[in-house]
Amino acid sequence: MSLSSALSIAQSALLSTSRQTNVVTRNVADASNPDYSRRIAQVVSNAPGARMVVVQRAVDQQLFRQNLSALSAWSGQSILSSGLDRLQLAVNGVDNAGSASTAIGKLHNALQLYATTPSNPNVGATVIDAARQAVRSLNSGTEAIQAFRADIDSQIATSVGELNQLLAQFESVNKAIVAGTRTGTDVSDALDKRDALLKKIAEHVPVTTHLRADNDMVITTTGGVTMFETVARPVSFTPSPAYAPGMAGATVYIDNVPVAGSSGEASGKLAGLLQLRDGTSVTMQAQLDEIARGLIGAFAETAPPLPDAAGLFTWSGAPDVPGTLVNGLAGQISINAAFDPDQGGNVNLLRDGGANGAAYVANTGGTASFADRLIALGDRLDQPMTFHPAAGITAAASVTAYSANAIGWLENARQQATTSADTKEALAARTAEALSNATGVNIDMEMSLMLDLEHTYQASARLLSTVDEMLKTLLNAV
Amino acid sequence: MKAVSVSSAAISNAMRYSQTRMQVDLVKAQKEMDSGRVADTGLALGARSAQAVNFHRDLDRLNALVDSNALVSARLKSTQDSLGQIVSVTQDLVNALTVAVAGDSPDSVTAKSGSTMLQSLTTILNSSMNGEYLFAGTNTDVRPVEDYLDPASPAKAAFDAAFYARFGFTKDDPAAADISAADIESFITDLVEPQFLGAGWEANWSNATDQTIVSRIALNETTPASVSANNEGLRKAAMAAVLAYEAFSGNLGEEAKSAVARRAQALAGEAIADLGQLQSQTGIIQNRVSEASTRINTQIDLFERHIIDLEGVDPYEAANRVNDLMAHIQTSFALTARIQQLSLLNYLT
Repeated sequence: MSLSSALSIAQSALLSTSRQTNVVTRNVADASNPDYSRRIAQVVSNAPGARMVVVQRAVDQQLFRQNLSALSAWSGQSILSSGLDRLQLAVNGVDNAGSASTAIGKLHNALQLYATTPSNPNVGATVIDAARQAVRSLNSGTEAIQAFRADIDSQIATSVGELNQLLAQFESVNKAIVAGTRTGTDVSDALDKRDALLKKIAEHVPVTTHLRADNDMVITTTGGVTMFETVARPVSFTPSPAYAPGMAGATVYIDNVPVAGSSGEASGKLAGLLQLRDGTSVTMQAQLDEIARGLIGAFAETAPPLPDAAGLFTWSGAPDVPGTLVNGLAGQISINAAFDPDQGGNVNLLRDGGANGAAYVANTGGTASFADRLIALGDRLDQPMTFHPAAGITAAASVTAYSANAIGWLENARQQATTSADTKEALAARTAEALSNATGVNIDMEMSLMLDLEHTYQASARLLSTVDEMLKTLLNAV
Repeated sequence: MKAVSVSSAAISNAMRYSQTRMQVDLVKAQKEMDSGRVADTGLALGARSAQAVNFHRDLDRLNALVDSNALVSARLKSTQDSLGQIVSVTQDLVNALTVAVAGDSPDSVTAKSGSTMLQSLTTILNSSMNGEYLFAGTNTDVRPVEDYLDPASPAKAAFDAAFYARFGFTKDDPAAADISAADIESFITDLVEPQFLGAGWEANWSNATDQTIVSRIALNETTPASVSANNEGLRKAAMAAVLAYEAFSGNLGEEAKSAVARRAQALAGEAIADLGQLQSQTGIIQNRVSEASTRINTQIDLFERHIIDLEGVDPYEAANRVNDLMAHIQTSFALTARIQQLSLLNYLT
């Protein structure tokens, strides 16, 4: 009987070797798949000579969680930093060439030149041109910001759609894992899939996971809102097709709990997008509005006791001069047609005053080289005024300095976001590497295992043939 | 089981992250080397960008001020030249009148010197620069003075009317020869003087305003930067010339003529003194403007240095960085290639 038992042991060795080879092959095949966890074939002996191969999956929950949170932070910050880059380019232009600050500087210079030669209407026309550039900068800045908000809004909608889809997929994979674990089948592939889905979900929203019995997983946001518990919870959002200054964006709900926009560092794409749409761009719009208000105020015609009246720069509420933050003023501001030669206006009004009636005329003699008002206008651009604290820059400053501060404010936000994005990217790359080292496949290792297996297989096969020969010899002898 | 594990994916991706970072840095360093400024000022300066923007804007403004100061200087220079010419023609008149007072020259010569002086004065006062009349005050688009010798001149008409009103005949009338020195002197004081030194000047002579052009010459400094034809010295010069011309072109007697000549001579002398003062005032303003420009140029240098401090990069440092990065990138390429070859598969047959 011992020969036939040797034969069956050799048979079972062949079987377990081929099983292990199968696992090795699978590992090698998925060596470059970042979502794949190495399978470990463990041979367990349960009876004398009988071996069973149990497939295990390499897991490092700690590293995986770190990687998830690093992914959230990175995707949030990178959205923020690229969004701020876009805003900076759209509103201020390359090297701030299209910014309100640059336009106001040019206006100031043109005004200075005009004040030196007030009798020359051509020089006056350059002031109007410079003013037109300032208006264009503010108008197009407003358009760019609102278009940016609408674009971000649609990105939020896309993100929410993806999130819902990912959660639905998660639900079916999780169900398969629970069922498989209960019946004791190998659920490694499903676990890989679930981890991959989790990584994708974490890019949108920072998540915390809890494992329950039977490998059942619960996902909550780091804020504690349930996203998945046996069934996927709905993420809802109603996108707005277009944005106007002062319009509030729609809220994102996860499981009917509103997602609050953050300030400072954003974790997760959704938080970054919300911060851009409801924070940064709204503040920037307010700053542009305040710059517009500053310009209207600086160029207003004054004739106490009469109320100040809008001069070179005007708006929908003219002839009144806006006294406080007006939403969307930067989009409304325009050149007063009375001054603009292109619209049949008279440049000399800038020098003389009186666009709002004879009471406002400063140059009562009507002389051609009256420069006092022009010099005063230049001074007014440098005089401090009070700006609304909602615009993020509280200091009382001149409209010229304020427009420069607005650039400083944006660049500060951009610098922080970019630095932080770089750090988070490095963190995400490092944690991904660590995770891959802990749970990934090393082909060399697998190949050396393969050599072992080959030898085992050869030895078993040799045993088989030896036993066969021995049996043959025995049969021949009989 | 393995104690220390490294995955194949980690090995082949090891260089990837640092590789991209280095390439991003390389692009930046190249830009910095080319421009001498940081590649992205906004990112490099953050909140301090406002400062950089302010510096740039102030620099532009200062440059604009230097440009506009050049205009102001040119105007003042022309004004100064014109004043010099006026002084010189007034001096000629004084000389002619000195001879006339001594009775050594024919009437026509003295009258001629008066009319020449008037013509020169009118021409000089009406001189313009850059489309602006120099002596017009702020009313630079209107000729400051009309030609007195023009028959339609209101100033001439006013003088003739005053003469007729005082004496009952014109100066060409034979009766004019009998006017006494005292009479003519009182006529000059009572009727002629108001036409020049009083309200008559602005009514009949000048379209200029008393207010002169004010210009900003530094960020917070303004100065009057022109001379008005209403200046007293100019009025006196004009009055002296008119007196000389009118007295010696009519039928006035010797006694009256010499009284007028004396008066005109005194006036012209006063005019020269006044004009001298005006010249020195203008010179002071010229000096202020040029000093302001010098000051601004110093400021411009200072601002430029500040801007370089903020935005500039050391080109040597940038060049070194480019070289370092290129060496690093090459090393990492070489390593990647070697690592790719490093596989057990090569040794399995």
